[in-house]
Amino acid sequence: MVIKKHISIIIILLTVTILSACTKDNPDTKSTTLPVIESYLMPGQPVVVKLYQQKSLTDTAVYGAHITGMKVYISDGSQKVQLTESTSGVYTYTNLTFLVTGKTYSLQFNYLGYNVTASTVMPAKPVNFVSQYPGITIVSGTPGNRGTVLNLFSWSNPDSLNHVLVIKGVSATVPVNSFSSDKPLNSQINTNRASYYNLTASPFAYLGAYQIILLRVNQEYINLLNNNTRTSSQDLNQVPTNIVNGFGIFTAMQADTLNFTVL
Amino acid sequence: MRKLLLALLFTGLATGVFAQQTQKTLKKVYVSKLFTCSLDLMLDTLAKDYHLKFVFERDSISKYHVVDHFLNESLKNVLDQVCSNNHLHYWVESDKIYILENTDDLARLKKMDMLWTAAAATHLTPVELPKSPPKNFNFSVSGKVIDQSTGESLPAATVRVLNTPLSFSTGADGLFVFFNVPADTCVVEASYSGYQTYRFRLDAEKIKNSITVEMLPALNTLNEITILGKKSGVMNTDAKKVGVLQLTPASLDKLPNMGEKDVLKAFQLMPGVSGTNESSSGAYVRGGTPDQNLVVFDGFTVYQVDHLYGFFGAFNANAVKDVQLYKGGFSAKYGGRLSSVTEITGKDGNAKQATFGVDLSLLSLNVFAETPVNDKSSLLLAFRRSYQGPLYDKIFKQFNATTIPATGSGGGGGFGGGGGGGFGQQVTPASHFYDADARYTYHLNTNNTLALSFYTGTDKTDNSRDLPSFNSSIISNSITDYTKYGNLSGSLKWSSVWGKNVHSNTYVTYSSYFNDRNRTNSGVNYVSGNDVAFSNGTVETNDLKDFSAKTEWDWQISNTLKLLYGGFATHQQINYEYTQNDTNKLISQHNKTFLGGGYAEIEYDPTGKLHIQPGMRTTWFQETGKQYFEPRFSASYTLNDHFTLKAATGQFYQFINQVTRQDVLNGNRNFWVISDGSTIPVGMARHYMGGASYENDQFLINVEGYYKTLSGLTQYTIKQQGFGPGSGNATIEQAFYTGQGNAKGIEVLLQKKLGQYTGWLSYTLANTQNKFAVYGNSYYPADQDVTHEFKSINMYHYDRWNFSAVFIFSTGHPYTVPLSSYTITGADGNKTTAFNVGAKNAERLPNYHRLDLSATYDLLKINGNKTGSIGLSLFNVYNHKNIWYREYQVQNYQVITTDVTYLGFTPNLTLSLRW
Repeated sequence: MVIKKHISIIIILLTVTILSACTKDNPDTKSTTLPVIESYLMPGQPVVVKLYQQKSLTDTAVYGAHITGMKVYISDGSQKVQLTESTSGVYTYTNLTFLVTGKTYSLQFNYLGYNVTASTVMPAKPVNFVSQYPGITIVSGTPGNRGTVLNLFSWSNPDSLNHVLVIKGVSATVPVNSFSSDKPLNSQINTNRASYYNLTASPFAYLGAYQIILLRVNQEYINLLNNNTRTSSQDLNQVPTNIVNGFGIFTAMQADTLNFTVL
Repeated sequence: MRKLLLALLFTGLATGVFAQQTQKTLKKVYVSKLFTCSLDLMLDTLAKDYHLKFVFERDSISKYHVVDHFLNESLKNVLDQVCSNNHLHYWVESDKIYILENTDDLARLKKMDMLWTAAAATHLTPVELPKSPPKNFNFSVSGKVIDQSTGESLPAATVRVLNTPLSFSTGADGLFVFFNVPADTCVVEASYSGYQTYRFRLDAEKIKNSITVEMLPALNTLNEITILGKKSGVMNTDAKKVGVLQLTPASLDKLPNMGEKDVLKAFQLMPGVSGTNESSSGAYVRGGTPDQNLVVFDGFTVYQVDHLYGFFGAFNANAVKDVQLYKGGFSAKYGGRLSSVTEITGKDGNAKQATFGVDLSLLSLNVFAETPVNDKSSLLLAFRRSYQGPLYDKIFKQFNATTIPATGSGGGGGFGGGGGGGFGQQVTPASHFYDADARYTYHLNTNNTLALSFYTGTDKTDNSRDLPSFNSSIISNSITDYTKYGNLSGSLKWSSVWGKNVHSNTYVTYSSYFNDRNRTNSGVNYVSGNDVAFSNGTVETNDLKDFSAKTEWDWQISNTLKLLYGGFATHQQINYEYTQNDTNKLISQHNKTFLGGGYAEIEYDPTGKLHIQPGMRTTWFQETGKQYFEPRFSASYTLNDHFTLKAATGQFYQFINQVTRQDVLNGNRNFWVISDGSTIPVGMARHYMGGASYENDQFLINVEGYYKTLSGLTQYTIKQQGFGPGSGNATIEQAFYTGQGNAKGIEVLLQKKLGQYTGWLSYTLANTQNKFAVYGNSYYPADQDVTHEFKSINMYHYDRWNFSAVFIFSTGHPYTVPLSSYTITGADGNKTTAFNVGAKNAERLPNYHRLDLSATYDLLKINGNKTGSIGLSLFNVYNHKNIWYREYQVQNYQVITTDVTYLGFTPNLTLSLRW
């Protein structure tokens, strides 16, 4: 009898320990009402900030619904300006001298009680961006040699800054081979803080005229680019963002462009 | 009355000896006689002529008639023939030969015989009284327990000196030792699951040398055992130890199986080991993950424990003698893992006679042979291989979405994907697994034995094929596409007995693991008059090599004090490479490290009731240059014959981590990486466990609680960069996330140990949580966290039939959901859609449950020994769609949710033969 008592006491103690330890903290989640921001600041171009709502999972629209009627401010540290809503959900500031190298730009607006903010630093323009050849020739229809280096792009990068190479089709329409037709025309490549990029035939699904744009970018853009969208419930991960109380990207970058032909 | 009891006692004492004598008599005595009579009369004649005792029911046996002329036939052959002609069995146990119409009659005949014997007790001559008064007092005696028919040593057998508190549980070598045995006329009893209890009287001669206790197997169908605390059946718990489970591989055919008797999967039916991970044979023990479970097979560490994406364990049950699972707080003898230890002891091979066996199922073929090589050595060989039948394909498809076109249409595409149209009929790629065991045991002399053990296993999926040439310039074009992973391991073990009370095992081991994936498109291209060879694709290889030496010593200082000590040294070498297009090495890691250390542990029983076991283990790890100390402690207190209290605690380190790279299309890939003390920290855990058990001759109730803290946990991810068309642009970067966690829970086990119906109910209430900075600053339920888990294992034995029903219910695993999505345009103008991901593991999948059924029919020899079985297993009988995980894919900016399920209803047939 005494023994039975012992056991029941042990069980009770264990249960209490377990249950008392079961109080749950709710890990931080982000509300589905937070806004989505898309804004790339480039000197010589107007400031454009696009605001969207998030979409429900079953939504088939490309973008979420526009967020209209916001008072969106941008500041360069000394001057704070209000953007005007040029079209629905697109807020602009057209003073082309506003964006300059080295300044920190901060975005701010209030949405559904959230103080939405983000900031970014305007990097310098890329220097000494050159191409070994003005273009390359791809033997159409060959799956081979797509790993062969065909051209070298190089630029100055003594401080190992982040650069992204954007390959943008201007008038490239002829598919390289029969599998290319459903592939996107444009692409971008993280150069991993290097000062060169060895180009192969791989990025090119179509033959024609291209622009190769070297972007000097900030880490927040690299974070977004590096994001590897996972699709399994065992492995979902929040995509990184530099927006406080929001999603998306607000980043500054500068570009240098070369024309390039792929034949 | 007292006289009667005495007589009964002596009869009992002598039984073991007589069983052996009777077995010998059967073979040695030759009969030349003509019988034309009823069977009962024939047995009477034999009994009289050869001083044998037959037990049978005269009413039924007298119906059978014998008309036979035997000419110099061994008595065994005579019995075989007579029983066979009349569809009877005989069974030799104690000094008696039982004649059975039905194997279940044995228990009844025994009872009947006992009544007769009691009635006639006064006429019995008392057997085997001490030949002389005791000559030796307070001496020590040692010995070994072996199987009489195979010569295998029996681990975990119980040896007792009757009427004294002296009791010993044998180790893996079957050795035992007693000090201060009161007199050399004492009776020693040995008992072991599935064997006839054997008793013998000591005498002045016997105690001079090491005693070999040879035990005879019990009639296979028997579930009945009449002595308290005996281990029997499929799963055994040691009521006196906390968190220890023992498994008898030979009994596994009584449980439902999916093609193979599986020692690792069987543990998943037990309390504290999660039973709902169909995609892993590794053990999720008390909130731990499979890589936190150390698997040791004949002294070497096994790094890959499953086949076919985890659906099958990598160990062939026919080559395994004994398996122990330590669920936590384990001895200082073991280290290097945070959670648990699975120790597998291979069979030595039959030293007495050659035996062979074949198991055939819808999934695989399994063959083995055991044979004595000469009077000093024996050999065991076991091999199994899957064949790609419908069952294999069904399981394969469950875990691997790769399909290839049945005809070479279109070409190039490679991955049809699940349900990807346009390729016509999809077939499963060629895939198989195999494993092989070999063990050679050589007895140098009575005190020294060498055992050479070898194990290898491989899974290979080959999807390689030639592509049709779709362009005139391509001369040849083919895709190499295979995944191959497995083990190659071996050990040399030297077992030595240094006098009566010291013995040691010294091992030199090698263990390797490899996991290779190659997907390359290669061929020859005819360009501008030249043949240009091309090769594009990715090759991913991980290999691990572990060279170790260790020595384990066991010094029984007195009946109450035992010292365990030893040392170890390990050299580990891991290579991991991810190569693209032949030359571009995206990941290239080559690590080597050295670990060395030792342990010491005391087992002390100050009183007959209290057992305490303090220990210390230390490891020096080259990578960090630090010395790690792991104190351990366990204790048990026996309140009385039925109740035991127990507790254990300890600190544990782990220096090597297994990381899983999720790959939906090709099955998840596992890699081993060595801790570096910074990005991959050394894992550390502390265990606190306690429990109580109640055991009587029918039931066992065991309640245990645990709390564990873990730090230095590692999660792994590969980040892919660049989204250009084609694979040429992609670069990958690996990232390790580190975090901490804790686990706690209560396990309740109610086991019915005896009778025609046996089985157990197990319930676990548990909570396992992790905190990784990458997911926020709070604890979240770990991936393997299951709140409630209920298991009901039922086995019913009727005559030659064994039926079983296994029901498992558990709370669903936690998972992460996307709450919403959003799309933005990148600097290159391409749109990407991302998820607003909810809290890590905030949701639960629906509850997991399934019912498995099986029926096995034993094939018996005339003499009652088992010669094989035919079995039918039904997995997930009511075809419940248990969800493994959910898949969220963006199609046309819309998120499509798909449930990926585990295996549905699947039947399997097995045929086992032994000869």
